[in-house]
Amino acid sequence: MLKAIAKLQRLADFQRAPVQFDFTAYHSLLQEIDQYRLESESDARLREYVTELRTQVFNNIPLEKLLSKTYALVREVSRRILGLRPFDVQVLAGIAMHHGKIVEMLTGEGKTLAAVLPACLNGLAGQGVHILTFNDYLAKRDAHWMGPVYQFHGLTVGYIQSGMNPAERKKAYDCDITYVTAKEAGFDHLRSFLCYDKADLLQRPFHFAIIDEADSILIDEGRIPLIIAGNRPVQENKLRQTLAELVLKFIPEIDYGLDEYQRNVFLTESGIAKAEAGLNCDNLYNANNLKLLTLLNNALHAEVLLHRDIDYIIRDGRIELVDEFTGRVVENRHWPDGLQEAIVAKEGLDAQWGGRILGSITMQHFLNGYPKIAGMTGTAQAAADEFKEFYNLEVAVIPPNRPCIRIDEPDLIFTDQRTKLKAIIQEIIRVHAGGRPVLIGTGTIRESESLAGLLDRSGIPYQLLNAKNDEQEAQIIAQAGRLGAVTISTNMAGRGTDIRLGGAGATAEEYARVKALGGLYIIGTTHFESTRIDAQLRGRAGRQGDPGSSRFFISMEDELICRYGIRELLPSKYRHLKQENFIAEPALNRQLLSVQRIIAAQNYEIRKSLWKYSWIVEQQRRVIHERRRNVLLDHTEPWLFRTALPERYTRLSDIYGETVLQQAEKYVTLYHIDNLWADFLEEIAQVREGIHLVSLSGRNPLDEFHRLVTAACFDLQQQIDAQIIATLRGIEITDAGIDLEKEGLRGPSATWTYLVNDAPFGGTLAMMLAPLIKKLLKRSDELE
Amino acid sequence: MLEAIKTAFKLPDLRRKIIWTLVLLGIFRLGVHIPAPGPWDAGKLANLLGGGGNLFGLLDLMAGGALRKMSVFAMSVNPYITSSIIVQLLTMVIPALQQMQKEGGEGRRIISQYVRYGTVVLSIIQGAAYAFGLQGAMSNPTAWDFVLIIMSLTAGSVFLMWLGEVISEKGIGNGISLLIFAGIVAQLIPSAIGVSKTLGSRGLGVSFLSVIIFGILAIAIVAGVVFVTQGERKIPVQYAKRMVGRKMYGGGSTYLPMRVNQAGVIPIIFASSILMFGPTLAGFFPEKNTFRDILMWFSPGSWAYLVLYALFIFIFTYFYTAVTFNPVEVSDNMKKYGGFIPGIRPGKPTAEYLDRVLTRITLAGALFLTVVSLLPYLLGVVPWFRGIPISLGGTSILIAVGVAIDTMKQIEAQLLMRQYEGFLK
Repeated sequence: MLKAIAKLQRLADFQRAPVQFDFTAYHSLLQEIDQYRLESESDARLREYVTELRTQVFNNIPLEKLLSKTYALVREVSRRILGLRPFDVQVLAGIAMHHGKIVEMLTGEGKTLAAVLPACLNGLAGQGVHILTFNDYLAKRDAHWMGPVYQFHGLTVGYIQSGMNPAERKKAYDCDITYVTAKEAGFDHLRSFLCYDKADLLQRPFHFAIIDEADSILIDEGRIPLIIAGNRPVQENKLRQTLAELVLKFIPEIDYGLDEYQRNVFLTESGIAKAEAGLNCDNLYNANNLKLLTLLNNALHAEVLLHRDIDYIIRDGRIELVDEFTGRVVENRHWPDGLQEAIVAKEGLDAQWGGRILGSITMQHFLNGYPKIAGMTGTAQAAADEFKEFYNLEVAVIPPNRPCIRIDEPDLIFTDQRTKLKAIIQEIIRVHAGGRPVLIGTGTIRESESLAGLLDRSGIPYQLLNAKNDEQEAQIIAQAGRLGAVTISTNMAGRGTDIRLGGAGATAEEYARVKALGGLYIIGTTHFESTRIDAQLRGRAGRQGDPGSSRFFISMEDELICRYGIRELLPSKYRHLKQENFIAEPALNRQLLSVQRIIAAQNYEIRKSLWKYSWIVEQQRRVIHERRRNVLLDHTEPWLFRTALPERYTRLSDIYGETVLQQAEKYVTLYHIDNLWADFLEEIAQVREGIHLVSLSGRNPLDEFHRLVTAACFDLQQQIDAQIIATLRGIEITDAGIDLEKEGLRGPSATWTYLVNDAPFGGTLAMMLAPLIKKLLKRSDELE
Repeated sequence: MLEAIKTAFKLPDLRRKIIWTLVLLGIFRLGVHIPAPGPWDAGKLANLLGGGGNLFGLLDLMAGGALRKMSVFAMSVNPYITSSIIVQLLTMVIPALQQMQKEGGEGRRIISQYVRYGTVVLSIIQGAAYAFGLQGAMSNPTAWDFVLIIMSLTAGSVFLMWLGEVISEKGIGNGISLLIFAGIVAQLIPSAIGVSKTLGSRGLGVSFLSVIIFGILAIAIVAGVVFVTQGERKIPVQYAKRMVGRKMYGGGSTYLPMRVNQAGVIPIIFASSILMFGPTLAGFFPEKNTFRDILMWFSPGSWAYLVLYALFIFIFTYFYTAVTFNPVEVSDNMKKYGGFIPGIRPGKPTAEYLDRVLTRITLAGALFLTVVSLLPYLLGVVPWFRGIPISLGGTSILIAVGVAIDTMKQIEAQLLMRQYEGFLK
């Protein structure tokens, strides 16, 4: 019986059928495009075509009808200006993107150029097209590189960098085509929620976005909330420092305990007693001690779970976070709600800021705000279901210009980290001896560094990518295909840059030599959280029909296996194995693949659940934002003053005139909307935290959350009106309107934008994984 | 609530879902009247099944009266429920199934396919049991008759499974529960007619008045059941991990709910299943003897039966509540994620507090279940109501109310979602 079921399961393990997409219509469009013979036309004649096109767009001829002509023109212009004539497959991708698809194009197929086609066409409408790039460097590079093609079509091009000031940003957003990272675009969207003057609005209403590396941005980073916070003086800094000192005296396992994943720390009875004695207070868990307890919990978390130079570094007197997955120092990221301040206190630094969250949006919801989006990536198929579910986007797999002949070798599995690294080094030495270029993709910076240390000893020259600078990384990675090159990089580093055989700007001879050696060899040092991310690494080799190969070296002590606590899940005969050679057992291979699928499925479930919870809040944000926007842009005339306080209104309007009063009401309204919205965000964060408890009485936490949050939002809307009226009743009005400073109605003078570190308290993830791991553990015991 | 239904009907999407559900439930009720083929003898059948209080009585209740009629739906959704329980248990034991479950998507689809196959197999087994168990109600059955009965019962049961799945998918609420619900509610009308007839025939001359009194009583009982089913104690909980800004929240919005009737209908089903044992065993002794007499003391309605019934319900209520709500686990979970009940230290004190509250509130729940399940017998004490055919016992009211509340909640949840869509368009 068991065997039969196992067999059935194997049957179910079928390879996912590739996404089928019907290209017939696109091929006929391609033929239409080919029928324009523009090669022999003069530049001047082409310009006339452009003028003609613009007139047609101006006369409201649908873009669809102009597609073939525009694409033919862009193709020819690109050939003349850039020396690159888009291949047929790039044109197909361009058509698909115009139709709002996610296109899968292998690395090296020229995504940057393919995006120019739909960007030009949609840019003609004059409502702005955003090309969302993976990092600042690529935004700048692509805008400069592709700029002339757009300019030939009379389109303006701009790009955004994270250090830019509002004026520069506004200028870039006012261009027809804007290259910007998704994060920056999201932050600027949040900023628009805090404007007091319509001149400060940075972005026009959204029109069309083309997302590069769509799977990374839409899926892997889709759940991370973007935050905008206003400053407020840091309070209780003294108390925080006292607490930071207090928790130093605590003894592990006696005064505090950790959960099984080491993601949560909590006080034990002895710890509570110590704290109460040390702080000289009564029961810490009395309602009036909530603030103290919260600060204490944060101090404890900061002391026990977050380590300097592992989880964060201190640079220029500031805390900077290290991304736990990529190992990179990430800018613009903070721990949420008080934890950041606790670390500042722990390190005895000057309080940098006290942030009050004024607005937040997840990447997912932000991107869904565009009426039309398209995307491109090397690995879309594996995520096709999620694109459909969360964004209602279809995937179109574009066949490569030349078929990919890369060989993906089966994994080599080792028992422990040491033997794995040894084998990798041996492999590098072996391959390097022949001069074939090798690219080693690691999971974390730490792993990169330990490999580099080993290579130092073997005397092999190598390039290590751990620069904090995307531009440098791009330059290094571009040379990774050079004869004899050995490059170590994390998976995320240098994305968007092509690895040409022989190196950037190689001669035909150099190219041929590397090609004859078998092209680029990719070594993966660990599996990632999904086969899709593995494929991103593999995809670095074998561009444009070049030869290449890839192989993953796995050990049973890998991060992935440890982090998810799934080592215990492997059959025990492998668990305690120690050997020098790799384990040649296909059964173990299958096991590991299944583990990877389980992790991918769990991550998917978590994303789905987070999406469901954030959905309703996003709807509410839109409702409130809409109201604020209408007030800001004077789309609605203020009415509360007039209707709620008619006597005062008439009296004051006789003195100062209606305009002054309306202006005053506008400011008051904007102020209270922002302020109460921030309160609301805090309130629902509280609700969200404990909502899982209602499942104890058999209710659905999500439904309950919706119910509570809807009531809270209704309350919010009434509160807004009530506060506006209360302020207007007591406010002092002069000829100049109202004195914002004096009335305490000034919005935050500065704002910060940052990403919240994913699940800092391990809450959601650990909570959801707990039952899985418990069950799996039980199961492997039974096998023994 | 009526308001909610009215709004629901205004939204085309939701209206379609509700209409789908009603139409499919209608099909189910029609099908109940299609008799299973076979040389049935109506009189003997009524004798065998009509007694009530035995195993067939409970099955008939779940089947919405289809068993009494020996309809093609006689087995109702029982095989499907059993099959899903079995597969769920297997999933916990068999690693291959467990991995499939965890891989989501495709894996789960395959598992639900197993449930369906299991339903077919269990239907055949249960169908055979019915056919052979009810041999006495047939006149000269041939082997072919048995095959025919098993086949038609299986087909009926598989059809119901499909119907339930379609309701879950295209309609609203849980299809399987709604099928049971529809069966119970459908018996209301014949039951009400039966009651009023009996009351009328009492010759009190005020048959109209007696019907009204009974009606009021019925409504009061249902209202009471709804009240207690919804009843819960909200224990406030606070989380001390995030800094709270200007306002202090946490009062009211975050709480730990403790239901009065945490165990639901399960204790009643357990208790009556165990007590069924006596009369069923007695059935094996056609001759009168002492042993049989002792067993018969415990037949439904007897004092011994009622006392034992109440006792078992009490025991099972506490037992099942303890299984579903473990104060130590709950307090541990809260402690790890930074939650606490204001004024009470986390860990042991919290667990003790929860345990104390739970013990008290469960007493109310157990009392409630006992009263509800003994209701038909208690009513019998009043001479006026003696002998009234109350086929709708407390059990069915509990089930029906539970399903109705769940379904209403789902409709409300859907309405909430729509509300925002309306805002934006």
